[in-house]
Amino acid sequence: MSKGERTGTVLLVLAVVFFALGLKFVSGFGTRPPAPQKIPLVDTQFLETATIRKSYAELIRTKADLSDFDCYACHEKGKPPVLRFDAKHDLIVPKEHEDVVMGHGTHNRNNNCFNCHDEQNLELLQARDGRQIKLAESVPLCGSCHGPTYRDWEAGAHGRTGGYWDRAAGPMKRQICVDCHNPHRPKIPPRKPAPGPHPLHPVAAVAAEASH
Amino acid sequence: MPTPTSNTHESDQSSPDGLSRRSFLRSSAVLASGLAALAASLAPLRHLNDFPSLDQFLQKYYKELTPEEMAKVLKRIEDEVERQYGLRPHVRDLKPMNGVEFVYALNLTRCIGCRKCVHACVAENNQSRNPEIQYIRVVRLPHGSLDLEKAEHNYSPEQVPEKGYFYMPVQCQQCKNPPCVKVCPVHATWQEADGITVIDYNWCIGCRYCAAACPYWARHFNFTNPSIPKERLNLDMAYLGNRPRRQGVMEKCHFCVQRTRVGRYPACVEVCPVGARKFGNILDPESEVSSILRTKRVFVQLKEELGTSPRFFYYFDV
Repeated sequence: MSKGERTGTVLLVLAVVFFALGLKFVSGFGTRPPAPQKIPLVDTQFLETATIRKSYAELIRTKADLSDFDCYACHEKGKPPVLRFDAKHDLIVPKEHEDVVMGHGTHNRNNNCFNCHDEQNLELLQARDGRQIKLAESVPLCGSCHGPTYRDWEAGAHGRTGGYWDRAAGPMKRQICVDCHNPHRPKIPPRKPAPGPHPLHPVAAVAAEASH
Repeated sequence: MPTPTSNTHESDQSSPDGLSRRSFLRSSAVLASGLAALAASLAPLRHLNDFPSLDQFLQKYYKELTPEEMAKVLKRIEDEVERQYGLRPHVRDLKPMNGVEFVYALNLTRCIGCRKCVHACVAENNQSRNPEIQYIRVVRLPHGSLDLEKAEHNYSPEQVPEKGYFYMPVQCQQCKNPPCVKVCPVHATWQEADGITVIDYNWCIGCRYCAAACPYWARHFNFTNPSIPKERLNLDMAYLGNRPRRQGVMEKCHFCVQRTRVGRYPACVEVCPVGARKFGNILDPESEVSSILRTKRVFVQLKEELGTSPRFFYYFDV
């Protein structure tokens, strides 16, 4: 085999290899990145800006059904209801009010209805100094015990805000205590978290790699 | 093309013009492979279906645009978005307001780690859903320390908050001394008068130096074309804010400029169910953030030892 022939053969082989490679790249076979994993769109409940609960003031504003707050449909005027306690001095919540779960204060200390409700007029609240307070204007009542929180709320350090930070541009929306806290059980209930980040590589694979 | 078959003496069937059949076949094989290799090297161009228009290619630097040129650019961006999504957005160029410096405060005692801020931010700022780009990362830390080595952001319990942990959302800290701005070789990112560090997405060359420089993992790169479902597109857009980005550019939290520069609160503040997030103008002594920094226990700026001097403060209830 002469030198020229050998070179020719080598070139031919190279040509075929390049041709095949070219075909492979052009066809895209095996060169595309793997299809991205499916990430479902986040549930719109996590985008919701509504408050945790609806306060009485909010119910009035939205003209909701207020029949639950008509105390004297069942109670008798001028006859304060009698509270009953069990052996552990926990309040026995009557069947008619079973939606009320008592849990205000550490060790359930605040378990007397008339610490906040006015026993003479059940449609009102009363502060410890005897002031009568409307149900829709309950903030000073909460503040009468929770001083530092009330101070922070007034300054804007506690509680939710929305709308406009710039008063000149529009109204700031401040929420009141009972927009978020259930007065009978003020601790914010735990909730399901929104989905976490989806890494480019599945978490299990990363964890397995890390353990090596 | 040099071919070794120039000596025609070996060839059995010489054509009249001196080109043997063998040499012809060889040359054409080499030529074909060359063409195939060229085609292969150009193959990635087939995936480029949205070439930048000439206007876009020749667009000037943000700070050099005259108002008339800006109006044209905004119109062009609106057209681009409409072509891509079939919806007409409203794109504005919002300038910093006079006498305003934004500061963020986050109450670590209140945060329950529900990640609603993360997704409200994604929805507001038209971030890519797949692959995911999220400006906010909520990390879970065990009580009693602030050791970020123990931070976990993939937590997924049935319910939050979990016993023994607290949660710390981390996003762009809008530093007073931003390392990301210093490293940008083309000045595509800078700090505005109201303290927001912004990016001109049309000027960014995608070198990712800023992502390497940021100690908070606040900068995110579009490795692919972002995918945003049409029905989730936020049409209220700003040039320096939430207009859709392209593949190959950086993006980051900009305190929702499309909202905050018209006086509104950022999306993450409005969605927080427990009111842990506070935002406002630090130059206004009556604002919430002013009173928080004055009266509350503000513990740190995150990684303050780095000297970045963040405008993002974490505080506690006493």
